[in-house]
Order: sequence, then C-alpha cells, then structure tokens
Amino acid sequence: MAHAGADNPIPPGSAPRRMSSGMRLLLGNEFGLAVLILLTVAVFALTLDGFTSPFSIYTIGRQIGIDTMIGLAMMAVIVTGGLDLSVGAIGVCSAMLFGWLMQVMGVPVPVAVPVAVLFGASLGFVNGFTVVMSGVHSFIITLASMSIFFGVMIFLTRAAAFNGLPPQVQAFGKMRVLPGISPLLLIAVAVCAALVVFYRYSTLGRQMLAAGANARAAELSGIRTGRVIVACHMLTGLLAAIAGLMVTARTGAAVPSMAGQLGQDWLLPAFLAPVLGGTLLSGGRVSVIGTLLGATFINIMTSGLLLMRVGEFWILAFLGVMLLIAVLADRTRQVFLTSRGMI
Amino acid sequence: MKMISKAAAALLLGTFVCVPALADEGTMVALVPGGPHPYFAAWEQAGADAKKEFGLGAADYRVPAKWELNLQSQLLESLLTQGYNSFLIFPGDAVGTTSVAQELVDNGAQVIATAGCLKDPSPALFCLGTDTGNSAYLGAKELIRAMGGKGKIAHFTGFLVDPNTQLRIDAVQKAADETNGAVEVVQVIADIDAPQPAEEKINAYLAANAAGVDGIITTAWVPAVVAANSLRKIGDKRIKMVGIDHDEVVIKAIADGFVDGTMLQNPYGQGFIGSYVLNRLRTGCTLKEDGPWKSNALTVRFVDSGTVFVDQATAPTYVNAMVGITADLLAGFEKDFLTCS
Amino acid sequence: MAATRDSALTRAFDNDWIGPGLVSLIAVVAISLAQPAFLSPFNIFVLMSAISVNMVIALGQLVIIGLGQMNLALGSIGGLVAISFVGVIERYGIPVPLALAFALGIGIAAGMSGGYIIARTMISAFIITLAGLQIFKGINLGITEAQPFYGVPEAVKAFGQASVIGPLPWLMVPMMICSVAMWYLFNRMRIGRHILAMGSNPHAAELSGIDANATIIWAHGISGLLAAIAGLMLVARLQIGQPTIGDDWLISSFAAPVIGGAVLTGGRVSVAGTFFGVVIIAIITQGLVMFNIDPFVVQIVLGALILWAVAVNRLREMRIARVQARGAGA
Repeated sequence: MAHAGADNPIPPGSAPRRMSSGMRLLLGNEFGLAVLILLTVAVFALTLDGFTSPFSIYTIGRQIGIDTMIGLAMMAVIVTGGLDLSVGAIGVCSAMLFGWLMQVMGVPVPVAVPVAVLFGASLGFVNGFTVVMSGVHSFIITLASMSIFFGVMIFLTRAAAFNGLPPQVQAFGKMRVLPGISPLLLIAVAVCAALVVFYRYSTLGRQMLAAGANARAAELSGIRTGRVIVACHMLTGLLAAIAGLMVTARTGAAVPSMAGQLGQDWLLPAFLAPVLGGTLLSGGRVSVIGTLLGATFINIMTSGLLLMRVGEFWILAFLGVMLLIAVLADRTRQVFLTSRGMI
Repeated sequence: MKMISKAAAALLLGTFVCVPALADEGTMVALVPGGPHPYFAAWEQAGADAKKEFGLGAADYRVPAKWELNLQSQLLESLLTQGYNSFLIFPGDAVGTTSVAQELVDNGAQVIATAGCLKDPSPALFCLGTDTGNSAYLGAKELIRAMGGKGKIAHFTGFLVDPNTQLRIDAVQKAADETNGAVEVVQVIADIDAPQPAEEKINAYLAANAAGVDGIITTAWVPAVVAANSLRKIGDKRIKMVGIDHDEVVIKAIADGFVDGTMLQNPYGQGFIGSYVLNRLRTGCTLKEDGPWKSNALTVRFVDSGTVFVDQATAPTYVNAMVGITADLLAGFEKDFLTCS
Repeated sequence: MAATRDSALTRAFDNDWIGPGLVSLIAVVAISLAQPAFLSPFNIFVLMSAISVNMVIALGQLVIIGLGQMNLALGSIGGLVAISFVGVIERYGIPVPLALAFALGIGIAAGMSGGYIIARTMISAFIITLAGLQIFKGINLGITEAQPFYGVPEAVKAFGQASVIGPLPWLMVPMMICSVAMWYLFNRMRIGRHILAMGSNPHAAELSGIDANATIIWAHGISGLLAAIAGLMLVARLQIGQPTIGDDWLISSFAAPVIGGAVLTGGRVSVAGTFFGVVIIAIITQGLVMFNIDPFVVQIVLGALILWAVAVNRLREMRIARVQARGAGA
C-alpha cells in the first residue's frame, strides 16, 4: 500500500527485488512514520488533557487535510527533481479568483470551483513551460513567478478580501461529516488515493517517475521529458489551487494574507510533509501516503507541543529538529539496508 | 533549550508532563496578539495585574511565533482545548480571523477584538482599541500646529493588509484638508512596519525630499523609530515630526528635540480593561445594547481605549499618562456599557 | 550576429559583469537626470549603506551557489548572530570585541555544522538548510520572545551612521573587504577553485583528488561567516538588535547573484557581477520610492527583473556555446 511507484531512483522494473513485500513494508519509511505517529498519539492522549476532545481532534484533522494538500502540491513537482516556490502564490491567486467569481460575478459555487482549480493548473503551466523553454532551474523561475503572481493579485485586489461568499462555502469549512471529522480531511484522503492510482497505473504518472529518476534514460525510451515536466508543474498548480480553496472554506472568506507575504507561509509545510514522508528531493520517487503521514505527524506534534505549553516560540526550533532527525534516520535506514544488500 | 528537553523527555520517557486541570477555574482569559510585536508587550503585565486585581483563573499572554494567520488560528484552537474561555484577540486579518473567532464562540467562549477590530458581522462582543483614525487625526493636528499651520507633510505608516492603515491615511488627509490648502500631504509610504524596508525607504525618501518637506507623521511603530533615528542622523530640527507609541528611541528623540511629540496608545489599558470586562460578563453582567458605542470603518460596536499626545514636557512621565487614561476608562465602563444584576 | 572570436568587444561582453554594470550605469544616469537629488551626498550615503549590507548577504549565498547548492538558512543565521551579539552585551556586559568574536563564531559554527551534515550524509543541502532555517530562527525567537535588544553600544551605532569620507559610509569597508576576499578566494585560492570545481562537476572533482567533504564544510562555514557579518552590519545600521533581521534576505540573496550571471547549478560565479546585481536591485527599490510609484507594483517589478536576467544569461550562454562550437569545428 505504502509506496506509489519506484522505491528508489532506479527506473521501475530494472532492479531485482530480493525482499518479500511484507519485509519491504516493515523497512519502509512510511511504516516507521506510522509507528511514530501511533506512539506520539498514545503519549499525548495519556498525558495531555483535552488532546482527545472532539474539538481538538476535529481541528487537528482539518489542518492535516490542508497541510497534506499543500505537501502533495510540492511533491508533484519534486518528482522530477524540480521545486516550486510559488505554490503559496498560486494557492492564494486561485482562492482570490474563486472569491471574485462568486462575490462580484455571481457565479455559482459548482462552476467557480472547477474554474479556480483550472486557473491554478494554468499558472502551473506557465511555470513549467518557462522552466522547460529556458532550461533554467525551477527554483529561479518560480522565485520570479512567486513575486509576479502574488504582485499581480495584490495589485488587482488592492489587498481587499472577499467576505461575501455564498454561505455554503463557510458551512462546508465548518461541517462535520462524522463527529470530529472535517470534510477537508476527507478531500485530502481522496486526492491521496487518486494520486496513488495515478502514479502506479497511469502512463503519465509512470512517465513522471521515470523522467525524475533518470531523465536521459527516459528520453531514450521515448518519453518526451519536456512535456512530462510541464505536466508535473500543472499538477502542482492544480493541487495548490485545491489547497487554496480548502483554506478559503475554512476561513469563510478569500483573504489575500492567508498564506502570508508572497505566499511564503506555505513553503514550510510544503517541504516538510513530503520530505518527512520519504520523497527524495532528487526526484524519481514519491510517497503519497508518506506525505499524508508527514502532515499528520507535524500537526500532532504541533498540537501536542502547544498543549504542553513548551512556549510558542520554541515550536519552530522543535519542528526544525524533527525534520533533521527524520532525514538522518531515513538516511541511516538506507545505509543499513544497502549494507545488508537489501536494496 | 530547557523547554525542548522537557518536551523531548516527556516524549521519549512517556513521563507525565504536569498540565494543570483547567476546568471550572473561573474566568480564564487569553490575550492573543496577531504575532510578535513590541506594541503588545504591555499585555503581559496587564494580564498579570488583572488576574491579581479581579481574582481571575488566569490571564495569560500567548503569542503566535510568527505573523501567520494559520499559526494564530492553531494557537487559538489549542487555547480553547486548554480550557480558556475568554479571549482578547488582535485579529491577524480583519476578515480572515472571523471564522476562528466564531468557532471559539460556538464552543462557549467569549471574544473581544482588541487593539484592532473584526469587520462586521463578527462574533466578537465588541472591539476595544485605539480609535486609530482619531489618533492619527489628533496627531496630524498637533503636527500642523507645530508647523505653524502650513507646509508639506509626509506620512509613514504600516502594512497595507492591516485594516487600520487605510483609516490612518484617510485621517491624516482629513486633518490636512481642513487647513484649506495651507497644508498638503505630499507622500504616503506604506508597508514599512519592519526594520529593513523602513530603513531603506524612509532614508531614501528623506535623502531625495528632505528640503521639500516640513512635517512628518508616522502612524506605525517601526517607521516612528526609524524616522526618529534618521532625523537625529541628519541633525534636522527644522522638520517637525509626530510619532506614535512609546519606543525608547522615540521618547529619547522627543527629549532631545528631534521629534516634537508622540501619540501614545494604550495597550496596557486594553489588556487590563478587556480582562475585567470579560470577567464581569461571565459573572452576571450583560452588555448594554444602547450603550454609547462608537463606530468606525469596520464595526459599529467600538470602544475607544484612549489616546494621548505627549510632548517634550510630558515625555519623561509618559507612563503616568497611560495609567491615567486607563483609570478613567475603567471607572466609567460599568455604568456606560454593562447591565449587572 | 557577426561575432568573431577574437574581437575585443565580444570578449568584453563575455564577461559576466558587463551587462549588469551597463544597466546600473544607465539607471544611475537616467534617474539623476529626472531627479537631481538622487546624487545628493545624503542619498549616496543611504544608497551605499543599503548596497553594502545586501552585497555581503549576496556573497554569502554566492559561495554556496558556486558549490551548486543553496543556503536557505542564510537569513536565520544572520538574525541569530545579530541578536546574540547585542544580547550578550546587554545581558552580560561583555566588551564589544569579545562579543564580536563570539557572534562571528556562532555564524561560522552554524554554517559549518550544516555543511558537516550535508557532506557526511550527502542529503540535499536544500533540506538541511531548511531544517537549519527553522532551528536557528526558533532559537532566535525562543531567546528574544520576539522583543528587540536595545543595548547596542554607542561605538557600534556610530559605525553604522558615520562616513569614511564625504558620502561614503563606514559600512562600505567590511563590504569591500569581503568582496575583495571573495574575489581572491575564487580566483587565486585553492579552496575557491575546489568549490567551483565541485560545483561544475562533483564526480570529476573528486576523481581529481579534491576532498569533497572539506570543500563543502569550508564553503558553508564561509557562508555562515558572511551571514554573520551582514547581520552585524544591520545591527549597526538599524541601531537595534531586531529578531526579524534576516527574515527577508532569501529572495534578494538569490536575485543579485543570478542577475550578476551566476549559474545556479554551480561552478560559475562573478563577484563583480553580483555587485552590480545588488546595485540594480537597490536603485530600483529606491527609485520606486523616489518617484512615488504604487507600492503594490514593487513585487511585480522585482519578479520580472529576475526573469529578464535569466533570459539575458541564457541568450549569452547559447551564443558562447555557438561560438565555441564554431571554434571547435574550425
């Protein structure tokens, strides 16, 4: 269940598998993360009053949903070894378009949602197209597009929020599907499931992984890597737009400051979740479930630390240390497995 | 580091971290700014004093680690879980903070928007803050008086996403308009409530236009500090300046004559009076619908926490001025705004 | 384009810094014609102060770009150093030179520890410095609780406000020392050549006997040192130990070297080009204020500028490649 696509930067099918699938699951990054989450939850539930209250579970779950979506957006472009600093800007731009369509143009919700999501994808296309055409690393291109997207949005809206959205939008953000479960979390889980299928079974998904693992080999085997990279950026834009709409639903309004100046507030969750989940920055491997687990772990830790009152200011440092420990542990695991000839 | 090791120890060893049970301890007030900013530092003392004075269960100052809407929401949700039932909140966004405030109210807590207002309709009981427009207007009047009733004004102010910023820009303009053209606002520089951009833009502006400006008004904390420093640096006492708030640098520049005065706000009073009101409301009082509420651009239920101009003569004792306005407001609050059984 | 390989003009245009240098010159002339106050002594002082600090920041990123990596923790190291410096003076009354050494030591240690982890584990520098960013910023906020330290000694304040001669600020001195040192490092010193060799082709570099680990650790140590110097310069300039120092370094630290012709994959940097990149950004920031341009437009202009620089670099690279191909064919 855990891995979508290749386990390591070797094109699918080229490496002989010597492990049983059960063994692989036990040694996988996701399994370790899941155990850690269970342990953390157990400790917090026993020691912290209110951690398991319905309200607490509800708010943590909702935040996990949003962070997962932001993480998946970044993951989709990390697949090819690129990255996208403009995820936050794309998310906010899409959310503002969403608000404008409904409040100013009177467009009904079912129409506004797909338009805003496609708009996110088209901003992603702009990024991808520029990256492929210029041959410049996506870091620089998206550094520039982050400024431009956000700047144009702020210029057009004069930084004013849209708070006269149809009541369904806010109702959706506050809805409880089951006691303690937000529909935002369910959307994130559904998108995860779709992406697992996409990377494992669809041609385009497999091409993305192959192009990320070894661009030259992929090119030789007939994959048009340029197009695949553009597709990756479009997927990122699409997922970022969904995340933007989810935040809009939670806030009940489309607010230009929802991801901070230039959308930079999203960058940390965007990288933390996939990296904790075992996505390699060099590309070629994704872990959709790992991203979900990564976002879960971050939010449970944050929430526990807040309840523990360790001091709000130390939480940042703590998250940094967690990230460091996670990547070091993952590296140790890989070295261990390699030395045992298990990979 | 102690905190981290405490948390780490709790995690690794599974030891019990001592979190006090918070149920039924009376009024538990949390004072939550939008992020770290020196303006709010007085809230901590105000909460501690209010707790002692009025016998509250708690009145704790809790700061989101950064100015992020999401961090503030997470902190507020966590504080509700921790048992706080009364909140003084500076809205990180006049619209964006509404939904989390609504959530707090839905779960039985009460909220007062403090130091900045939520845009109506909002779940907040009312908004307690500086009448920012009025404060900027009065400041501009003082500046115009110092300039001898004529000349050109430059206005340095805070973030465009802060709802107060537009109010301030309009108020300064209004004061200038009332002079029938004798005073003109020649430039507004916004979005500079952070040290590096403020330093670069204010200095750049003064460098090019110092000769063409007769007065400076600043309506945000950091620009006031930077502008005061710049005037000291170029040694200019010709340009009149009225600042805002009570940063050491500004107070000292007033004493030395580089700045003519500053508009004090009343963060201490906001925290102290806000805590008092929340406690009264939980113990049998209700708000008067027909109280003397003021209104501003965001809300029609606004209470002015007071503002006062201090100049060279009164700057050394500015703390007394703040204590004075707090005492006045507190004395009249119950009669004006509360119905108590 | 009828470029022959030997034409002096062509060779000059192959220099990374010529383009940005020309743009800076044109911008200065144009703005000073439109607004004579631009060349007033005080304005030159202000402009040079801004350029000095931003240049040191950009150099801190340039070392790591040369290595083909990124340092996201640059700003948070600078911020931590700034508040540590003022903090130890204010709390413990430590004399300035000692505090200075302590603060620079923190910068070097922070940089080298990151470099050590990157070198030993070969985990992407992006991730390690991202973790570093959070850790250093978190420690900063944990110590200060976001309140500034005011106890900056008068000598330091004076340094930030005084001028060496005429309109040239003292802050230029550390900037020039750092610039010359970095130029020397890249062009004359073994460690500099090793950094660039690692940047252009890590495998070839290792095969040729370069100690990869040491090179990476040194580069990050130098980057941390430069971040520390920039943080201290900002303390002098802002007259206050602000915890927010460094928060907004990231974009400009990449923009200036890239405008100056650095290649992000490593191996190719230009100290002079970076300088003109810094100058261009400073002039534009100031020009937007001077001409009272809508603050909402500022971000768009900066973003467009980066794209323009990328496009120009790209065109130049393609032309050089073509010229070289022709040369090889001949």
